[in-house]
Amino acid sequence: MLKGKQSWVFQNRPVIAAAGVSGGPFEANGNLSEDFDVLHDDLWMGEDSYEKAHRILLEEAGQTALNKANVQKEDVQFYIAGDLINQITPSSLSARTIQIPYFGVFGACSTSMEGLALASFIVNYRGADHVLTGASSHNAAVEKQFRYPTEYGGQKPPTAQWTVTGAGAALVSAKSAGSNLPVTTSATIGKVIDMGLTDPFNMGGAMAPAAADTITAHFKDMQLDPSHYDLIVTGDLGRIGQETAYELLINNGLKIDREKFKDCGLMIYKDDQPVQSGGSGAGCSAAVLYGHLLNQMKQGTYRRILVVATGALLSPLTFQQSESIPCIAHAVSIEMT
Amino acid sequence: MKKRLLSFIAFSLILLSGCSGDGKVTDSDLALLKTTNPPAVLIDKNTRGNMDLVENIEHDVEKMKELYDVAVVKSNGDTLVAYKVKHLQRFHMKKIEKKMTKMLEEKYPDENFIVSSDYKIFIEAVELQEKMKDPDFTDNKAKKKLDKIIKLKNEMT
Amino acid sequence: MSKKTKTPEQQQYEKLEQKHELKRPVLKNCIRAFWVGGLICVVGQAITYFYIYFFNFTEQTAGNPTVATMIFISMLLTGFGVYDRLGQFGGAGSAVPVTGFGNAVISAAIEHRTEGFVLGVGGNMFKLAGSVILFGVFSAFVVALIKTLLIIWGVI
Repeated sequence: MLKGKQSWVFQNRPVIAAAGVSGGPFEANGNLSEDFDVLHDDLWMGEDSYEKAHRILLEEAGQTALNKANVQKEDVQFYIAGDLINQITPSSLSARTIQIPYFGVFGACSTSMEGLALASFIVNYRGADHVLTGASSHNAAVEKQFRYPTEYGGQKPPTAQWTVTGAGAALVSAKSAGSNLPVTTSATIGKVIDMGLTDPFNMGGAMAPAAADTITAHFKDMQLDPSHYDLIVTGDLGRIGQETAYELLINNGLKIDREKFKDCGLMIYKDDQPVQSGGSGAGCSAAVLYGHLLNQMKQGTYRRILVVATGALLSPLTFQQSESIPCIAHAVSIEMT
Repeated sequence: MKKRLLSFIAFSLILLSGCSGDGKVTDSDLALLKTTNPPAVLIDKNTRGNMDLVENIEHDVEKMKELYDVAVVKSNGDTLVAYKVKHLQRFHMKKIEKKMTKMLEEKYPDENFIVSSDYKIFIEAVELQEKMKDPDFTDNKAKKKLDKIIKLKNEMT
Repeated sequence: MSKKTKTPEQQQYEKLEQKHELKRPVLKNCIRAFWVGGLICVVGQAITYFYIYFFNFTEQTAGNPTVATMIFISMLLTGFGVYDRLGQFGGAGSAVPVTGFGNAVISAAIEHRTEGFVLGVGGNMFKLAGSVILFGVFSAFVVALIKTLLIIWGVI
């Protein structure tokens, strides 16, 4: 049901029946390693290319989610996935493996929440009983496409972020098989915001206005106060983007507790890992939300959270042609039943 | 990771330095590191006058204050002058060479000079001078060696 | 670069964002670059002396084998995944010497190995270093042309 300008309310409360998370070696050394279902100690993951390894990540995450929910893939009606690689091939090739009718979506790093919002919407209106949604990224594959070769010795500025090797997938279902499961209650779809920043090594700074815009729109549409949520978590703004977004939100008149405003990109790695400003990538918000945050919700740490995944919609071509970086953010609110 | 790099550098240094260990350390082995001040060498026509000539050349060259080490080798045809330039004067290498050639040619118009500031040439000159001490080392061999040095000097990159 | 005029809103945001942006530690980077670059050059000098001592190379001719050796070492370091860490630490210090050029070539070759030898390695090997070669050759040509003209006109 549309509420306000750009928000959906899921009155039938679709359930996140199960989730699966996979990650690479760098994440295994990170802060949240115990929240991963599958961890690889090699970036190649036994494949002969990073792109294939990328696909394996997503397939494993999806399969883990299905296994945990005890649902056969034949019973899942739709599969919504996306990533950052050209023509989102890792997602599409994983759909070839899993053989579920498939929507490929692209929202850069906001793909995870774009997928979750769409899946919840479909399930809410009985368009499906089960929808599998996921997002993934692979450090080497993404850096290869957007930046320099992995082994190239260029110096990254402190504003740069580290692409997460990881995937998260969730099974959104109409009826809950068990109790104590999180449900999606509303979603706000963001519009593309461009504040004219052009530095591809400072994505956080470029994406912050999009996050602030979507969060502000969410509270306006839903007529809620920020204190409604135990946690507002952004996708991959990193250190700079998060500080900036917080100031923008305060300027917009939202009273958000600084302690309740976190960022997936800052949570996933330890402070001493050389990731400059934090993690990024489509897999970042997916892996942290579907792993760590859902586990925390089930343990009762949080009851209501708002996840805002942000994406920078640039390509190597556009920034070489001196286009500024357009950004987007999508928000989904998740509650415990 | 840094440890790996350090050990790599240490390893390459050992590799580089380990090859020279044949026991006897001669001046030519250390010619890069210290001032050797080799005596002037004369091949062929070992007359009093010629010896004076070579020594005079060496003295004249040594008078230039930009240099700190000079080796002179003279055969009947060519005179090789190898020298080391003081570190901060290395910016003016070309100028020094020009100046020296001019000075030498004006003073000794009869001689044919080959002037070089190259370390390699210097080392070879010192080595030649050392070998000359050996009575078995004939003048013919010495001349051949000098020709080889001159050929090396004229080799371009 | 086409400088598009920014809206007042964008300019205002830029100011706000600048406040939070982490600055590059320029002085620290310079010092590190000085040491790393210097260290690489010391190794290069050692190799030059090595060639002078043990082979028939003069100072003039030892340059070529030295460069080849340095590129070979940087190839090994790139392959073992050390050079990119060195690059992150040393910045320009490891990028400016010839080892940085080697690293740019080799890293691209490794990266595109999965796309095959001809179109992958062959086609992409010089995607970073290609412009260095192009502009290096071109500027050498221009300088040589100027020098030739000056000699013909008798200026030098």
